[in-house]
Amino acid sequence: MVSVAFINPLSDEGKMIVRELGEFNGVLSENDDLMNIVTKSRSQEISNDSFIPRSYFDLALKRIEWYAKKKNDRNFEHKQYDFLFNQDIIKFDVIAFYLLCQAIGVKYGPNSRESRVLVESQGKLIENRLSKLSKTERNLIVTNILNSLLSSTHLKWTFFEDLISSKKLKMHELILDKGEIILEMDDFLERFSYKIHGRKPEKMYEALIGDRIKEQVMIKMVMQNTENYIQQVGERSHREIEPNPILLELADKISEVLISSVQTFGKGGSSYGISIKASALNPKSFPPCVKKVMEGMKSGGRNDAIIMFLTPFISYARLYPSVFSENITKQISDVDPTLSIIQNEILPLIFGAAERCNPPLFEDQPQDKVNLNAKLGFGMHQHPELKNEGETTWYTPMSCEKVKIHLPSLCKPDETCKKIGNPLSYYNRKLWAFKKEMKNISNNKDK
Amino acid sequence: MVNIEYLTPASPEERKKYYREEWDIKQVPEYIVHSIQEREFGFDHIGRGPNDRYKVFQTPDLLKRFLKVRTPFAAYCSVAFYDKPRRRDRWTKAELVFDVDAKDIPIRTCECEGVCEICLNEAREIVLNIIDTLKGDLSLENIHIVYSGRGYHIRVLDHNIMSINSDLRSQIVKYVVGAYVPENEYSLDFEKVSYEHFVIPFGYPNVFTKRFKYAILHLNENSDLDEVNKKLLKDILKHRQLIELENWGMFKNKIGPMRYRKVLKGIASMNMSLIDAKVSIDLKRILRLPSSLHSMVSMKCTEVKNIETFDPFDDAVPKFVYERK
Ligand code: SF4
Ligand SMILES: [Zn+2]
Repeated sequence: MVSVAFINPLSDEGKMIVRELGEFNGVLSENDDLMNIVTKSRSQEISNDSFIPRSYFDLALKRIEWYAKKKNDRNFEHKQYDFLFNQDIIKFDVIAFYLLCQAIGVKYGPNSRESRVLVESQGKLIENRLSKLSKTERNLIVTNILNSLLSSTHLKWTFFEDLISSKKLKMHELILDKGEIILEMDDFLERFSYKIHGRKPEKMYEALIGDRIKEQVMIKMVMQNTENYIQQVGERSHREIEPNPILLELADKISEVLISSVQTFGKGGSSYGISIKASALNPKSFPPCVKKVMEGMKSGGRNDAIIMFLTPFISYARLYPSVFSENITKQISDVDPTLSIIQNEILPLIFGAAERCNPPLFEDQPQDKVNLNAKLGFGMHQHPELKNEGETTWYTPMSCEKVKIHLPSLCKPDETCKKIGNPLSYYNRKLWAFKKEMKNISNNKDK
Repeated sequence: MVNIEYLTPASPEERKKYYREEWDIKQVPEYIVHSIQEREFGFDHIGRGPNDRYKVFQTPDLLKRFLKVRTPFAAYCSVAFYDKPRRRDRWTKAELVFDVDAKDIPIRTCECEGVCEICLNEAREIVLNIIDTLKGDLSLENIHIVYSGRGYHIRVLDHNIMSINSDLRSQIVKYVVGAYVPENEYSLDFEKVSYEHFVIPFGYPNVFTKRFKYAILHLNENSDLDEVNKKLLKDILKHRQLIELENWGMFKNKIGPMRYRKVLKGIASMNMSLIDAKVSIDLKRILRLPSSLHSMVSMKCTEVKNIETFDPFDDAVPKFVYERK
């Protein structure tokens, strides 16, 4: 059977592997065993040396790179990372995992982007590894790990407070009864089968809960534990005198991997023949509806106009104008890692428009600021902070259709409006035309 | 019913009379008196909103003295507990609150301007439904009901959930009001099976079924639902006795599967406005103080001991109203 540590490196088995390694020394040196396993992985691409990790250190970076590229790079090639799914790699994989947690814990802490990426990558890795197992094997390992993670068979839903509030688990997709989350078939049948008519209770269990939900719960718990572990490392490192330089180096390299994968983001083509890059805002190119809100709203709907409509528009127009053509979900920190553009350019614009409203927004309603923050993806808090990012999602701009329904007074279409379906597309189109014009002018001058 | 002048504002004299002669500290619920030092109080003295905030009372007696002297237009108290309530500092926990305002129920069947017996009764039904789920699915305890003057507050003081954040509160709200459109297809290994919410007698689908039934039976030809046009609304009304008879499959057939899906979406989004969700996710909200006077409508904000027998037009009318000419 597949080893528990292959799925949950934080298990006892995983900890044992780490203990056996003992010293840190050697994580940088070339390791023949590792390279052997990698090259022997069934469909591993070995045409290029750079595909092959040579040390624990390399492997740790490959783990992150796999996730970042899979998510962001259209040219992602699974074959370059096949070794991650070869069970023989387990010993190396577990150590690479701990190296990552420690490096990130020491240097960036649990609320960083790096931490978030590691936690997510662990989740994705588990999903992908499970999908390569047979049904029985998969079921067995999931049950096995769940049993060790859950101390009791009576699982109070409040036990999952963190997982639910961060939406890792969705409350309405779990089956709740008398305050408990139902995961096991026996339990399910005992509680509900007498109520079920005309359907097979066993089948209903499989569909509504079954391996799917159990797997989800298991994966999300491992992710949460990973996050907790990074936090512990961070706290412990404050008490230590000098962090290991290897960890600091690894931490820097992790950031580099993430940054280079973000830069490959922009590759996607655009319908205008040039790529739409994020750049300073050009208010002259705003559509009529946005111009109207920017002047300040004198009548009803101020709240929705500023929070639901303007905030997503301005933030995407400035940071990620090609969201619809690229169709890749991002968080703000992916494109504004220090949030300086949010602080210095975007929020001032939005607050400016809010002040011009009559009566001004935000004056006496702290809740409105919270709602605004939520739309930017920073959760229900007063100010955008990296540690809260991801608690809510970064809202994409409303379509024209939605504007017409929810804020009909804003929509005063002009000629360009006929060609688009979203105010953001209006902006991109205008901006492009504007830039072309500028180019023509300067070209003419040159002549 | 006696013919008295209901629901008109109370004069300053009537407020005085109420606080000095009728009001009693014993009408303030235990759960507030016990934690009085940890809560923030707020007052509205002239009817323009609670501007006098950040008040703290060390003892019930001091609150009593304040009310009898100032006879405010309205009195409020925080759902939040603080170590330093005077500065709203060091928040420790907050009640989970559901605010059902009869005036704002999108599917009330009366056509009154403010509130009336019909819509207040509907507010009460909604409250009972929500409490049913809070107690059943979520197994929460220590749940209290307050008549607010225009509807009801559900106040949950279960220690398991008093420290949860806004996000979890908002998920609880959506769960108990039925704001998620239920799935109808589930994947098994090699097939997809479809179960409509009404064949699943447990979990969220079951909560939704109950809310859906309530909503359908309270629609009328002027109801306004997202995704539901006039023709569809008409068909719903035409066939809705099938739902009353729990003949769900037939109802869905009559409506048609695609259109049924639309109805689900329309009702789910309508359900969200059965309560004021802003109140539920606000961790520092102040709520009308039970026992205080709702001067706009001349009714007492009252702790409801027994919701089955509670009648606002009997139990929440201050004496001075009966003395009006
Ligand atoms: S059509 Fe779209 S872009 Fe144009 S004014 Fe209306 S909402 Fe704005
Ligand atoms: Zn009414």
